[in-house]
Amino acid sequence: MSESARQIALWLIPAAPLAASVLIALTGVRWLRQRSHWPCILAVAVSLAASLAVLFVAVPMTPYDLDQGYDPAVVSAQYEWIRIGDLNVSIRLTADAMGAVMLSMVTLVSLLVAIYSAGYMRGDPGYPRFFAEVSLFVFAMCMLVLASNFLVLFVFWEGVGLCSYLLIGFWFQRPSAAAAARKAFLVNRIGDFGFLLGVFLIWVTFGTLNYQGVFDNQNFLQLVAREHPGRLELICLLLFLGAVGKSAQFPLHVWLPDAMEGPSPVSALIHAATMVTAGVYMVARCTPLFVYAPSAQLVVAGIGAFTALMAALIALTQNDLKRVLAYSTISQLGYMFLALGCAAANSHVVTLAVTAAMFHLFTHAFFKALLFLSAGSVMHSMGDVIDMRRFGGLRRVLPLTHLTFLCGAAALAGVPLLSGFWSKDEILAAVAAASHAGDPYGNYFLVLQIMAVATALLTAFYTFRAYFLTFWGVERFPEEAGHHPHESPLVMSVPLLVLAVFAVGIGAIVGPTGLFGHYLAETRGLTSGEEHGLAWGPMLLGTAAAVLGIAGAWLAYVGSPGLPRRAASVWRTAYEWSLNKFYWDEIYQAFVVRPGELLAEVCRLLDQYVVDGLVDGMGRLPVMVGRLLRSTQNGLVQSYALMMVLGLAALLLAVLKAWAGP
Amino acid sequence: MIAELHNYLVVGAALFVLGAIGFLTRRNLIVMALSAELMLHGVSLNLVAFSQLHGNNEGQAFAIFIITVAACEAGIALALFVALYRRRGTLDAIAWRELGEEGLPPDTSLEEPSIAPLATTPLEFPHLTPAGRVPEVPKRRAPDRV
Repeated sequence: MSESARQIALWLIPAAPLAASVLIALTGVRWLRQRSHWPCILAVAVSLAASLAVLFVAVPMTPYDLDQGYDPAVVSAQYEWIRIGDLNVSIRLTADAMGAVMLSMVTLVSLLVAIYSAGYMRGDPGYPRFFAEVSLFVFAMCMLVLASNFLVLFVFWEGVGLCSYLLIGFWFQRPSAAAAARKAFLVNRIGDFGFLLGVFLIWVTFGTLNYQGVFDNQNFLQLVAREHPGRLELICLLLFLGAVGKSAQFPLHVWLPDAMEGPSPVSALIHAATMVTAGVYMVARCTPLFVYAPSAQLVVAGIGAFTALMAALIALTQNDLKRVLAYSTISQLGYMFLALGCAAANSHVVTLAVTAAMFHLFTHAFFKALLFLSAGSVMHSMGDVIDMRRFGGLRRVLPLTHLTFLCGAAALAGVPLLSGFWSKDEILAAVAAASHAGDPYGNYFLVLQIMAVATALLTAFYTFRAYFLTFWGVERFPEEAGHHPHESPLVMSVPLLVLAVFAVGIGAIVGPTGLFGHYLAETRGLTSGEEHGLAWGPMLLGTAAAVLGIAGAWLAYVGSPGLPRRAASVWRTAYEWSLNKFYWDEIYQAFVVRPGELLAEVCRLLDQYVVDGLVDGMGRLPVMVGRLLRSTQNGLVQSYALMMVLGLAALLLAVLKAWAGP
Repeated sequence: MIAELHNYLVVGAALFVLGAIGFLTRRNLIVMALSAELMLHGVSLNLVAFSQLHGNNEGQAFAIFIITVAACEAGIALALFVALYRRRGTLDAIAWRELGEEGLPPDTSLEEPSIAPLATTPLEFPHLTPAGRVPEVPKRRAPDRV
């Protein structure tokens, strides 16, 4: 692959979706109308082709030698964007191994979701808007991955946030959707604020925002770690705060379940497969920084494990199929952060930890997108009803959706040999490697390991609870579905099948064979270190958790259907807590939203009566003075003459006084 | 000489003040114009007196100039008064207050003059007495109407 071909491929990845977005936005309403999906699908396909070219040809051919000063990445020509004093920001697209994997995953899932959406969104009045926004999202997401400095990263970090906001609020006529979009945006702002502070601190510390300048200079990193103890920790924690917001980790996880108000393809693309994993990607990308901040990594691992367990507990009792999946996404993202945090244990675990997190990110994108799209397919045939209490036994009516959902659920639960099994096993192996008793944080990681296994068990349980409730039991439809619920059209089922194939097979192909690990090891900051064979211990633990969870779900929802009710009445309090999502929304409502509203009300009154009063008073002053002076303008010649005479007299008096001297 | 100058100046000032008081207190347009003339000539008297004091003619020249201007001004003013009288049928200055602010509270200290309505028919202007031969206008045949 020649240099110019590489350049073209790199630029094509973001440029094609951007062009499609502009085209649809300009001509969609007037001309493209119900054909608006074509530019989007074609552009994303072009992006996918370019990404695959980068993945398979360009990156492996790039010379990789850090000691010689080579950047282990495909680099585009740079375009200088901002130059203010010492700050020199250029837009330069960079794809290294991690970026190429991420890009291929993003564009592939985007393509399948775009094709699926052509069927799912058919007839919607906002059809062109939908595809314009999806294209814009793909552009922003690709730029986020391709960015080579923190400022560009931040810009597109915000860009995907904007697209997420637009697409959650796609049906903005519904108050709940508008509120969910606003909530997502506001909660993300908190994280983004931390992220921005982190970027500022990087600028202050390193004097540059380029990845290369920050990550590659090991001597300087060591110097900073020695001279400013706590500085790198602070940077990492601030960056992680951004990731917490974007990837919906505790305590900023509350926006993601509400984001399910958006169309199902959006949930699949943005809120399961791509955007929410941007936080994981960013932390993985910043590994060279995080290795110098072990305490920050401990926080990452702790938050990840806690979020994983908490979200799994909430998912146990949710009745809304998409909410179960949303909490499952939060839980799985927590898993990835847990894996990333394991790098704190010792330097041998770093590569293993990052690989495990990225691998889980990779497989999770496929099976979670599959689950969301299958849920969308269920919604489609059930007349937009998503409450699992109102339908059941759909496996005969929707055989294909049943099959694909089962593939996704099994992969998520970690059934042996499916994708989720391999990646979850890697994470468990990473945690196990970190929790060696001899290490300084061994006990800490032992606790996290127990939490991780418990989460795996719960994951298998709630996933199959959703599956059994939806597809097994007595056949029931809500009245919105009409009399004959039908399977989704071909345009929707083909992407489902493709994703199902990936959900089942991709893990086994690239995981245990070491393809993924070896490829990813070429990334900046990672070492292609020692071989990690299959870790049998964690694998057995994971398998046992999955089997137990699935068996438990079968027992509770198929075997003896009265069991959940009895369990709920026995553990009344626990059930209530889980059903009400641990009351996080209520807590935030009471301690953040209400005080905020009060403050806003006080400001409003202050503005209305004090500030506006002042301004209005200034406006009224000339009117009042004018009213006084008006009465002298009465049109009577004599009164004017009198004023002249008086003025003359006053002038004369003044002149005479001055003339007479003091 | 000094005592004489004082006399002139006192008379001039008296004339000026009388004129000013007349202008301020009377509403009849013609009396107001007369008062203004009085003020002018109070000033002219001063000029002439100083001219005599300094022994040159500049002040006198000014006085003559003022008299000329006053005569012109009187001519124009009287013509205006005629026109105004024809419009409103009164010489009271109160009848012409359109330049003042609108909507002011009425001034109760003034009794409003009776204002005649605007003349609707074109005004009859005086004819000049014919002088000399009436110019002959060549007669033309009216064009045929089509």
